[in-house]
Amino acid sequence: MIGNFAIARGLVEAGLELAAAYPGTPSSEILPGVVEFNRREKGNIHAEWSTNERCAMEVAFGAALSGRKAVCMMKQVGLNVAFPPLLRGRGKHLEGALVIVCCDDPGPQSSQTEQDTRLLCTLFDIPVFDPASPKEAGDVAYYALEYSFKRKIPVIIRSTHRVSHAREAIELFTPGTRKVKLDEGLKLKGGKKLGIVTAGMSHSITMDVISELGMSDQISLYKVVQVFPLDKRLKVFVESVDHVLVVEETDSTLEMLIGNGNKIFGRANGYVPGAGELTYDVVRGIVERITEEIGIGKRAFAPDLHIEEALQSVTIPPRPPKLCAGCSHRASFHAMSYVYPEAIFPGDIGCYTLGIAQGAVDTCIDMGGGVTLAAGFYDTFSQDNNVIPILASVGDSTFFHACLPPLYDAVEKNKKFTLVILDNSTTAMTGMQPTPQSGVTADGTHGNSLEIEDVVKGFGIEFLRVLDPYDLSLMMSSLKDAQAYLAGENSTPAVIIARRVCLLSGKGKDQQFFEAIDLEENCTGCKTCITGFGCPALLFDEEKKKVKIDDALCIKCGICLYVCPRNEKGKSLSMFKGKRSPKRATKA
Amino acid sequence: MNLEIVCAGIGGRGVLLASTIIIEAAVRAGYHAMASDEYGMSQRGGSVVSLVKIGTSQSPLIGRENGDILLAFEESEFYRNLIFLKKGGMAIVNTAKDALPEKINNLLVKRKNKCFFIAADDIAKEKGMIQASNMAILGFFSYFRIGPYTREGILETLKERTKGKFLEKNVDVFQAGYTLAHSSHG
Repeated sequence: MIGNFAIARGLVEAGLELAAAYPGTPSSEILPGVVEFNRREKGNIHAEWSTNERCAMEVAFGAALSGRKAVCMMKQVGLNVAFPPLLRGRGKHLEGALVIVCCDDPGPQSSQTEQDTRLLCTLFDIPVFDPASPKEAGDVAYYALEYSFKRKIPVIIRSTHRVSHAREAIELFTPGTRKVKLDEGLKLKGGKKLGIVTAGMSHSITMDVISELGMSDQISLYKVVQVFPLDKRLKVFVESVDHVLVVEETDSTLEMLIGNGNKIFGRANGYVPGAGELTYDVVRGIVERITEEIGIGKRAFAPDLHIEEALQSVTIPPRPPKLCAGCSHRASFHAMSYVYPEAIFPGDIGCYTLGIAQGAVDTCIDMGGGVTLAAGFYDTFSQDNNVIPILASVGDSTFFHACLPPLYDAVEKNKKFTLVILDNSTTAMTGMQPTPQSGVTADGTHGNSLEIEDVVKGFGIEFLRVLDPYDLSLMMSSLKDAQAYLAGENSTPAVIIARRVCLLSGKGKDQQFFEAIDLEENCTGCKTCITGFGCPALLFDEEKKKVKIDDALCIKCGICLYVCPRNEKGKSLSMFKGKRSPKRATKA
Repeated sequence: MNLEIVCAGIGGRGVLLASTIIIEAAVRAGYHAMASDEYGMSQRGGSVVSLVKIGTSQSPLIGRENGDILLAFEESEFYRNLIFLKKGGMAIVNTAKDALPEKINNLLVKRKNKCFFIAADDIAKEKGMIQASNMAILGFFSYFRIGPYTREGILETLKERTKGKFLEKNVDVFQAGYTLAHSSHG
């Protein structure tokens, strides 16, 4: 099972009673794991998807204050959203237990920032554990819940995507019977010339690298699991060796706690990269460099550059992140940039951040940030009496997560911009979790449904359209109507809800559209559909100089026919085509 | 015994199912196995790599030129992940071609890489399930009986992992992959 399921299993075995989470890669699978193991154990754990991380933490806090064993889960940037209850609550005496599972994203692979949650824990005095494998993550989860219950304080488990999403066979125990001792301390006794301090997945990789280099006898290694507060034995270890290398993700937390004396190799003196993931090759490079410098080893690995040389003879198609073939967001973004190519496009965080490839997303700051940025952009231009279309976009889950105060704020102050709410009825990017509108709870049972249009109307918004973005002509004319409405006096933000269920969700899977897509027939090779629209099912046949459809990916939605300037369907939309001024066009 | 396997392909084509079967078949045979997956932000159509390590290693990450086996479920992903393959390592590539470009071929010869080409898409299409090309590769791979892997072991795991109407076709495609390896290399 994956590390996140191992964490869920450890928590359930330790007697967990309440779990709340907001999905975010790489943390999203823990709550479904809790639901699953609770079902198998016929337990009585309450599990819920929260509207955002702050709600998750406060719900868990409430339970922990009143005697329950509670957990909340989130990704590292989600913890920022839950900062108020974390900072005030960290010193509270709990009647029960509170474990916060926070999954970091070194790289980052699917986040705006890297962030090291452990650093925050050391700043604010919160115990934190850093497991090195899925198996250890399960043990640590069990241990942490007991630790919090005994000491009556909240604790954090910091996982990373390489732990959360790694897969390994995990032993299951009867609840309450797991015996866990933190697997910390001396792992290699190879003399005093070089001591390595490791934690998390970096530990596992470093062990493999040392084994490959055959240096287990020349290097001493100390593994840390509880990063804060540190075991006193670490200090003794550091004093016992001549040089210390610290290998940890994502920031220099252990390095700073150990103290930055002359004998430390780490991020401060550039031996360990300051950003990015510590992959196998990076760790191998660091260990080889240092062992060579201090004279206990020499570089054994030299990359065979003939590989790169030979690869130059083939073209490898780049595969940048893309929306799925047939994704309705792609249709929405096409409409937005087709009608108003020169608009400002404040974007948000979710699958639809990928609209950047279609020129319909300009910003991606934080969840909900697109709405408030749109308001700020409006103020900036209106101060100069300059009116410019501003088209913000946000997904349905993010709308509930973070957009309500920003949108109400914009209504109250008559900010003029169009907000396109891309409603695919699910939290798609993180793996199809329900939204407040879905009316489904974490265990799949029926719950209350809160409709986006009711919220929008409740704010007093006058311009509201709910439409299917596959209807490009309606989508485009609505964008124009919204702009006309905004030109009037005292107008408030215009809202368009572009609603079509995600193709990957249960309801969206069986949609049928066209029998065949006749895009290839009249193709002149202009590539408008490939470069501008960017559907992954559209390839370019270099021999025929024509577009080619990948049948395995194409879902036959036919939206590309409306994008093709040669196709009758495409021509029918030309009246909506927005102009690009020559000045801005050259700039772009 | 330590074995490092790189499974590479594109999203929505069953790379992760194949790697799951590879880990579980090893566990069945009594080995420790771990995997780490990379699938980026695309839900479908992006590059997917699953790194599998079997034996005593502690991490699921594979270093450059350390992989024993490269299973490429897509020709382009074979090139993208070729730097993982060690000297003397083996590769199975899903391609309809019977030879790769000359320079690549020379490289493979020089690095003593055994490289097999299999038109897995065509095999799967023939059996009426284009998405099952991953099974053809697994079937082909199972012929070589590397480390803990036997045809029976992989097939048993496959049967546990796929259900209902897909099972029969998956097994069909798997057998076709095996037979191809048997007839061309037996």
